[in-house]
Amino acid sequence: MTEPNDPDTPRVTLTIEDGIAELWMRDEPGNNAFSRGFVAELLACMDTLSRDTEAKVCVVRGLPELFSAGGDRNMLLDLAEGRLAPYDLELTRNLIELPIPTIAAMEGSAVGGGLIFGLACDMVIMARESRYGTNFMDLGFTPGMGTTGLLQFAVGEYLAAEMMFGCQYFKGSHFEHRANVNAVVARAKVLAHARKLALRLTDKPRFAIELLKRQLALPRRQAFEAARTAESMMHQVCFAAPETRARIRENYNQVADDQPSSGPQPGEKPRPS
Amino acid sequence: MTREHVLEVVTRHLVDTIEELEGVEIDPVKSMKDLGANSLDIVEVVSCSMRELKVKVPRSELNQLNNINELVELLHKSVQEKEAAAD
Repeated sequence: MTEPNDPDTPRVTLTIEDGIAELWMRDEPGNNAFSRGFVAELLACMDTLSRDTEAKVCVVRGLPELFSAGGDRNMLLDLAEGRLAPYDLELTRNLIELPIPTIAAMEGSAVGGGLIFGLACDMVIMARESRYGTNFMDLGFTPGMGTTGLLQFAVGEYLAAEMMFGCQYFKGSHFEHRANVNAVVARAKVLAHARKLALRLTDKPRFAIELLKRQLALPRRQAFEAARTAESMMHQVCFAAPETRARIRENYNQVADDQPSSGPQPGEKPRPS
Repeated sequence: MTREHVLEVVTRHLVDTIEELEGVEIDPVKSMKDLGANSLDIVEVVSCSMRELKVKVPRSELNQLNNINELVELLHKSVQEKEAAAD
Protein backbone atom coordinates (compact mmCIF):
# COMPACT_ATOMS: atom_id res chain seq x y z
CA MET A 1 0.00 0.00 0.00
CA THR A 2 1.34 3.40 -0.92
CA GLU A 3 0.42 6.29 1.29
CA PRO A 4 -0.79 9.42 -0.45
CA ASN A 5 1.04 12.70 0.15
CA ASP A 6 -1.48 13.79 2.74
CA PRO A 7 -3.04 10.87 4.59
CA ASP A 8 -6.03 13.02 5.59
CA THR A 9 -6.96 13.75 2.01
CA PRO A 10 -5.92 10.82 -0.13
CA ARG A 11 -6.45 11.90 -3.70
CA VAL A 12 -4.90 8.82 -5.25
CA THR A 13 -4.18 5.49 -3.61
CA LEU A 14 -2.41 2.38 -4.77
CA THR A 15 -3.06 -1.02 -3.26
CA ILE A 16 -1.50 -4.29 -4.32
CA GLU A 17 -3.05 -7.55 -3.17
CA ASP A 18 -2.76 -11.08 -4.51
CA GLY A 19 -1.21 -9.91 -7.75
CA ILE A 20 -3.85 -7.27 -8.47
CA ALA A 21 -2.95 -3.61 -8.14
CA GLU A 22 -5.67 -1.04 -7.82
CA LEU A 23 -4.91 2.56 -8.70
CA TRP A 24 -7.78 4.58 -7.30
CA MET A 25 -8.32 8.22 -8.23
CA ARG A 26 -10.53 9.47 -5.40
CA ASP A 27 -10.23 13.24 -5.27
CA GLU A 28 -13.89 14.01 -4.71
CA PRO A 29 -13.51 17.74 -3.93
CA GLY A 30 -11.33 18.19 -7.02
CA ASN A 31 -13.46 15.97 -9.32
CA ASN A 32 -10.38 13.89 -10.14
CA ALA A 33 -9.29 16.77 -12.36
CA PHE A 34 -5.66 16.97 -13.35
CA SER A 35 -4.47 19.71 -11.03
CA ARG A 36 -0.76 19.88 -10.29
CA GLY A 37 -1.12 18.26 -6.88
CA PHE A 38 -3.37 15.49 -8.14
CA VAL A 39 -1.09 14.71 -11.07
CA ALA A 40 1.94 14.60 -8.74
CA GLU A 41 0.21 12.01 -6.56
CA LEU A 42 -0.94 10.02 -9.56
CA LEU A 43 2.56 9.99 -11.05
CA ALA A 44 4.04 8.97 -7.68
CA CYS A 45 1.64 6.01 -7.45
CA MET A 46 2.43 4.98 -11.02
CA ASP A 47 6.14 5.23 -10.25
CA THR A 48 5.70 2.92 -7.25
CA LEU A 49 3.73 0.48 -9.39
CA SER A 50 6.35 0.52 -12.14
CA ARG A 51 8.96 -0.60 -9.58
CA ASP A 52 6.79 -3.26 -7.98
CA THR A 53 7.53 -6.83 -9.02
CA GLU A 54 4.54 -8.68 -7.54
CA ALA A 55 1.52 -7.22 -9.31
CA LYS A 56 0.38 -8.91 -12.51
CA VAL A 57 -2.30 -6.43 -13.53
CA CYS A 58 -3.61 -3.04 -12.45
CA VAL A 59 -7.22 -1.87 -12.24
CA VAL A 60 -7.48 1.90 -12.71
CA ARG A 61 -10.61 3.31 -11.11
CA GLY A 62 -12.15 6.67 -10.29
CA LEU A 63 -15.15 7.86 -8.29
CA PRO A 64 -18.49 6.06 -8.80
CA GLU A 65 -20.02 9.09 -10.55
CA LEU A 66 -16.90 10.57 -12.07
CA PHE A 67 -13.84 8.80 -13.46
CA SER A 68 -12.04 12.05 -14.17
CA ALA A 69 -12.97 15.59 -15.20
CA GLY A 70 -9.73 15.94 -17.20
CA GLY A 71 -7.68 19.12 -17.35
CA ASP A 72 -8.01 21.48 -14.45
CA ARG A 73 -8.77 25.12 -15.33
CA ASN A 74 -5.46 26.40 -14.02
CA MET A 75 -3.60 23.73 -15.91
CA LEU A 76 -5.33 24.72 -19.14
CA LEU A 77 -4.61 28.40 -18.58
CA ASP A 78 -0.98 27.55 -17.81
CA LEU A 79 -0.89 25.60 -21.04
CA ALA A 80 -2.43 28.53 -22.90
CA GLU A 81 0.11 30.92 -21.46
CA GLY A 82 3.10 28.68 -22.08
CA ARG A 83 3.82 28.08 -18.39
CA LEU A 84 3.08 24.39 -18.37
CA ALA A 85 5.54 21.72 -17.42
CA PRO A 86 4.78 18.74 -19.63
CA TYR A 87 3.09 16.66 -16.95
CA ASP A 88 0.04 15.94 -19.06
CA LEU A 89 2.40 14.21 -21.43
CA GLU A 90 4.00 12.18 -18.67
CA LEU A 91 0.64 11.08 -17.34
CA THR A 92 -0.51 9.20 -20.44
CA ARG A 93 2.97 8.03 -21.39
CA ASN A 94 3.74 6.65 -17.94
CA LEU A 95 0.43 4.82 -17.88
CA ILE A 96 1.08 3.21 -21.28
CA GLU A 97 4.60 2.32 -20.19
CA LEU A 98 3.64 0.52 -16.99
CA PRO A 99 5.18 -2.97 -17.16
CA ILE A 100 1.89 -4.73 -16.43
CA PRO A 101 -1.48 -4.53 -18.21
CA THR A 102 -3.97 -1.95 -17.02
CA ILE A 103 -7.76 -2.19 -16.93
CA ALA A 104 -9.76 1.05 -16.79
CA ALA A 105 -12.87 0.58 -14.65
CA MET A 106 -14.67 3.70 -15.83
CA GLU A 107 -17.71 3.61 -13.56
CA GLY A 108 -18.22 7.35 -13.65
CA SER A 109 -18.22 9.89 -16.45
CA ALA A 110 -14.94 10.94 -18.05
CA VAL A 111 -14.19 14.15 -19.86
CA GLY A 112 -11.33 15.29 -22.09
CA GLY A 113 -7.95 14.23 -20.74
CA GLY A 114 -9.78 12.15 -18.13
CA LEU A 115 -11.34 10.03 -20.85
CA ILE A 116 -8.03 9.67 -22.66
CA PHE A 117 -6.30 8.60 -19.46
CA GLY A 118 -8.79 5.73 -19.25
CA LEU A 119 -8.49 4.87 -22.92
CA ALA A 120 -4.71 4.68 -22.59
CA CYS A 121 -5.24 1.52 -20.54
CA ASP A 122 -4.87 -1.90 -22.14
CA MET A 123 -8.46 -2.86 -21.44
CA VAL A 124 -11.48 -0.63 -20.88
CA ILE A 125 -14.82 -1.17 -19.13
CA MET A 126 -17.42 1.62 -19.46
CA ALA A 127 -20.72 2.23 -17.70
CA ARG A 128 -23.96 2.48 -19.67
CA GLU A 129 -25.27 5.36 -17.56
CA SER A 130 -22.09 7.47 -17.48
CA ARG A 131 -21.08 10.01 -20.07
CA TYR A 132 -17.86 10.19 -22.00
CA GLY A 133 -16.70 13.05 -24.17
CA THR A 134 -13.83 15.20 -25.35
CA ASN A 135 -14.63 18.89 -24.85
CA PHE A 136 -11.33 20.41 -26.04
CA MET A 137 -12.86 22.15 -29.08
CA ASP A 138 -15.59 23.70 -26.93
CA LEU A 139 -12.76 25.28 -24.97
CA GLY A 140 -11.35 26.68 -28.18
CA PHE A 141 -8.37 24.46 -28.81
CA THR A 142 -7.50 21.22 -30.55
CA PRO A 143 -7.42 18.02 -28.47
CA GLY A 144 -4.34 17.16 -26.42
CA MET A 145 -2.92 14.33 -24.31
CA GLY A 146 -2.72 12.10 -27.37
CA THR A 147 -6.49 12.21 -27.92
CA THR A 148 -6.23 12.52 -31.70
CA GLY A 149 -4.49 9.14 -31.75
CA LEU A 150 -5.90 7.22 -28.81
CA LEU A 151 -9.60 7.99 -29.24
CA GLN A 152 -9.58 6.33 -32.64
CA PHE A 153 -8.33 3.11 -31.06
CA ALA A 154 -11.28 3.00 -28.72
CA VAL A 155 -14.18 4.18 -30.84
CA GLY A 156 -12.99 4.14 -34.46
CA GLU A 157 -12.14 6.98 -36.79
CA TYR A 158 -15.61 8.26 -37.54
CA LEU A 159 -17.05 8.25 -34.06
CA ALA A 160 -13.78 9.77 -32.81
CA ALA A 161 -14.14 12.58 -35.35
CA GLU A 162 -17.74 13.16 -34.26
CA MET A 163 -16.68 13.32 -30.62
CA MET A 164 -13.68 15.59 -31.19
CA PHE A 165 -15.50 18.04 -33.48
CA GLY A 166 -18.93 17.96 -31.83
CA CYS A 167 -17.88 17.65 -28.17
CA GLN A 168 -20.94 15.56 -27.28
CA TYR A 169 -21.00 13.80 -23.94
CA PHE A 170 -22.20 10.41 -25.13
CA LYS A 171 -23.70 7.96 -22.71
CA GLY A 172 -21.80 4.72 -22.32
CA SER A 173 -24.78 2.95 -23.89
CA HIS A 174 -24.00 4.84 -27.11
CA PHE A 175 -20.69 2.97 -27.35
CA GLU A 176 -22.21 -0.47 -26.91
CA HIS A 177 -21.71 -2.37 -30.19
CA ARG A 178 -19.97 0.72 -31.65
CA ALA A 179 -16.75 1.06 -29.74
CA ASN A 180 -13.78 -1.21 -29.54
CA VAL A 181 -13.75 -1.44 -25.74
CA ASN A 182 -14.00 -4.63 -23.70
CA ALA A 183 -17.43 -4.11 -22.19
CA VAL A 184 -20.13 -1.54 -21.55
CA VAL A 185 -22.10 -2.67 -18.49
CA ALA A 186 -24.33 -1.19 -15.80
CA ARG A 187 -22.38 1.23 -13.61
CA ALA A 188 -22.85 -0.93 -10.54
CA LYS A 189 -21.15 -3.84 -12.31
CA VAL A 190 -18.13 -2.03 -13.83
CA LEU A 191 -15.70 -2.54 -10.96
CA ALA A 192 -16.63 -6.17 -10.42
CA HIS A 193 -16.29 -6.79 -14.16
CA ALA A 194 -12.81 -5.22 -14.19
CA ARG A 195 -11.71 -7.17 -11.11
CA LYS A 196 -12.95 -10.44 -12.59
CA LEU A 197 -11.00 -9.72 -15.75
CA ALA A 198 -7.93 -8.88 -13.64
CA LEU A 199 -8.24 -12.11 -11.69
CA ARG A 200 -7.75 -14.14 -14.85
CA LEU A 201 -4.25 -12.71 -15.23
CA THR A 202 -3.03 -13.54 -11.75
CA ASP A 203 -2.02 -17.14 -12.49
CA LYS A 204 0.08 -16.21 -15.52
CA PRO A 205 3.87 -15.76 -15.22
CA ARG A 206 4.85 -12.15 -14.64
CA PHE A 207 7.73 -12.21 -17.18
CA ALA A 208 5.36 -13.38 -19.92
CA ILE A 209 2.78 -10.79 -18.92
CA GLU A 210 5.43 -8.07 -19.17
CA LEU A 211 6.53 -9.20 -22.62
CA LEU A 212 2.99 -9.38 -23.96
CA LYS A 213 2.07 -6.05 -22.41
CA ARG A 214 4.98 -4.36 -24.15
CA GLN A 215 4.04 -5.89 -27.48
CA LEU A 216 0.32 -5.15 -27.28
CA ALA A 217 0.76 -1.60 -26.03
CA LEU A 218 3.20 -0.71 -28.80
CA PRO A 219 0.64 0.47 -31.41
CA ARG A 220 -1.07 2.66 -28.81
CA ARG A 221 2.25 4.02 -27.68
CA GLN A 222 3.26 4.87 -31.23
CA ALA A 223 -0.13 6.44 -31.91
CA PHE A 224 0.21 8.46 -28.72
CA GLU A 225 3.68 9.76 -29.56
CA ALA A 226 2.72 10.67 -33.12
CA ALA A 227 -0.45 12.37 -31.91
CA ARG A 228 1.38 14.34 -29.24
CA THR A 229 3.88 15.67 -31.75
CA ALA A 230 1.11 17.01 -33.99
CA GLU A 231 -1.02 18.16 -31.04
CA SER A 232 1.83 20.28 -29.65
CA MET A 233 2.11 22.10 -32.95
CA MET A 234 -1.64 22.65 -33.14
CA HIS A 235 -1.63 23.94 -29.55
CA GLN A 236 1.00 26.54 -30.43
CA VAL A 237 -1.41 27.94 -32.99
CA CYS A 238 -4.53 27.68 -30.79
CA PHE A 239 -3.04 29.09 -27.62
CA ALA A 240 -1.71 32.12 -29.44
CA ALA A 241 -5.35 33.08 -30.11
CA PRO A 242 -6.93 35.33 -27.44
CA GLU A 243 -10.28 33.60 -28.05
CA THR A 244 -8.93 30.35 -26.65
CA ARG A 245 -7.98 31.91 -23.31
CA ALA A 246 -11.33 33.68 -23.12
CA ARG A 247 -13.16 30.42 -23.79
CA ILE A 248 -11.24 28.54 -21.12
CA ARG A 249 -12.07 31.25 -18.55
CA GLU A 250 -15.70 31.35 -19.68
CA ASN A 251 -16.20 27.60 -19.59
CA TYR A 252 -14.70 26.94 -16.20
CA ASN A 253 -15.85 28.07 -12.80
CA GLN A 254 -15.18 31.71 -12.14
CA VAL A 255 -13.25 31.12 -8.95
CA ALA A 256 -10.07 32.53 -7.55
CA ASP A 257 -7.14 31.55 -9.71
CA ASP A 258 -5.49 29.57 -6.96
CA GLN A 259 -8.45 27.24 -6.52
CA PRO A 260 -8.54 24.09 -8.55
CA SER A 261 -11.68 23.87 -10.56
CA SER A 262 -12.63 21.84 -13.49
CA GLY A 263 -15.13 19.82 -15.38
CA PRO A 264 -18.52 18.87 -14.09
CA GLN A 265 -19.16 19.49 -10.43
CA PRO A 266 -21.47 16.98 -8.77
CA GLY A 267 -24.88 18.60 -8.51
CA GLU A 268 -23.62 21.66 -10.26
CA LYS A 269 -25.84 24.12 -12.09
CA PRO A 270 -25.68 24.14 -15.85
CA ARG A 271 -22.75 25.63 -17.65
CA PRO A 272 -22.38 26.41 -21.30
CA SER A 273 -20.25 24.00 -23.15
CA MET B 1 -39.82 34.14 -30.53
CA THR B 2 -42.22 33.24 -27.75
CA ARG B 3 -41.42 31.89 -24.31
CA GLU B 4 -43.38 28.74 -25.23
CA HIS B 5 -41.07 28.14 -28.15
CA VAL B 6 -38.02 28.41 -25.87
CA LEU B 7 -39.66 26.01 -23.41
CA GLU B 8 -40.32 23.59 -26.26
CA VAL B 9 -36.64 23.72 -27.31
CA VAL B 10 -35.35 23.12 -23.78
CA THR B 11 -37.87 20.32 -23.12
CA ARG B 12 -37.04 18.60 -26.40
CA HIS B 13 -33.31 18.61 -25.66
CA LEU B 14 -34.01 17.40 -22.14
CA VAL B 15 -35.98 14.42 -23.42
CA ASP B 16 -33.36 13.74 -26.10
CA THR B 17 -30.68 13.70 -23.40
CA ILE B 18 -32.48 11.69 -20.73
CA GLU B 19 -34.22 8.82 -22.47
CA GLU B 20 -36.21 7.93 -19.36
CA LEU B 21 -38.20 11.17 -19.78
CA GLU B 22 -39.65 10.04 -23.11
CA GLY B 23 -43.44 10.37 -22.85
CA VAL B 24 -43.24 11.96 -19.39
CA GLU B 25 -44.81 15.36 -18.86
CA ILE B 26 -42.02 17.77 -17.85
CA ASP B 27 -42.83 20.06 -14.95
CA PRO B 28 -40.72 23.20 -15.51
CA VAL B 29 -40.95 24.11 -11.83
CA LYS B 30 -38.56 21.25 -11.20
CA SER B 31 -34.82 21.36 -11.74
CA MET B 32 -33.21 19.11 -14.31
CA LYS B 33 -31.44 17.41 -11.44
CA ASP B 34 -34.84 16.58 -9.91
CA LEU B 35 -35.69 14.90 -13.19
CA GLY B 36 -32.63 12.69 -13.00
CA ALA B 37 -30.09 14.74 -14.96
CA ASN B 38 -26.45 14.67 -13.89
CA SER B 39 -24.11 17.59 -14.46
CA LEU B 40 -23.00 16.41 -17.91
CA ASP B 41 -26.64 15.84 -18.95
CA ILE B 42 -27.33 19.46 -17.94
CA VAL B 43 -24.33 20.73 -19.91
CA GLU B 44 -25.65 18.87 -22.95
CA VAL B 45 -29.21 20.24 -22.61
CA VAL B 46 -28.08 23.84 -22.06
CA SER B 47 -25.46 23.87 -24.80
CA CYS B 48 -27.80 22.24 -27.34
CA SER B 49 -30.58 24.70 -26.47
CA MET B 50 -28.27 27.72 -26.78
CA ARG B 51 -26.93 26.45 -30.06
CA GLU B 52 -30.43 26.00 -31.50
CA LEU B 53 -31.62 29.38 -30.21
CA LYS B 54 -28.38 31.00 -31.43
CA VAL B 55 -27.73 32.72 -28.10
CA LYS B 56 -24.91 32.49 -25.60
CA VAL B 57 -25.52 33.10 -21.92
CA PRO B 58 -22.55 33.67 -19.61
CA ARG B 59 -21.69 30.90 -17.18
CA SER B 60 -22.03 33.22 -14.22
CA GLU B 61 -25.73 33.73 -15.03
CA LEU B 62 -26.41 30.04 -15.69
CA ASN B 63 -24.88 29.16 -12.34
CA GLN B 64 -27.63 31.09 -10.52
CA LEU B 65 -30.50 29.03 -11.92
CA ASN B 66 -32.71 26.80 -9.78
CA ASN B 67 -35.17 25.19 -12.19
CA ILE B 68 -36.21 24.76 -15.81
CA ASN B 69 -38.49 27.80 -15.75
CA GLU B 70 -35.59 30.04 -14.76
CA LEU B 71 -33.46 28.62 -17.57
CA VAL B 72 -36.29 29.25 -20.04
CA GLU B 73 -36.69 32.83 -18.74
CA LEU B 74 -32.99 33.50 -19.10
CA LEU B 75 -32.77 32.05 -22.60
CA HIS B 76 -35.95 33.87 -23.67
CA LYS B 77 -34.52 37.15 -22.38
CA SER B 78 -31.35 36.58 -24.41
CA VAL B 79 -33.37 35.77 -27.52
CA GLN B 80 -35.44 38.94 -27.09
CA GLU B 81 -32.31 41.06 -26.60
CA LYS B 82 -30.82 39.55 -29.72
CA GLU B 83 -33.99 40.19 -31.72
CA ALA B 84 -34.21 43.79 -30.46
CA ALA B 85 -30.59 44.41 -31.44
CA ALA B 86 -31.28 43.06 -34.93
CA ASP B 87 -34.26 45.42 -35.47
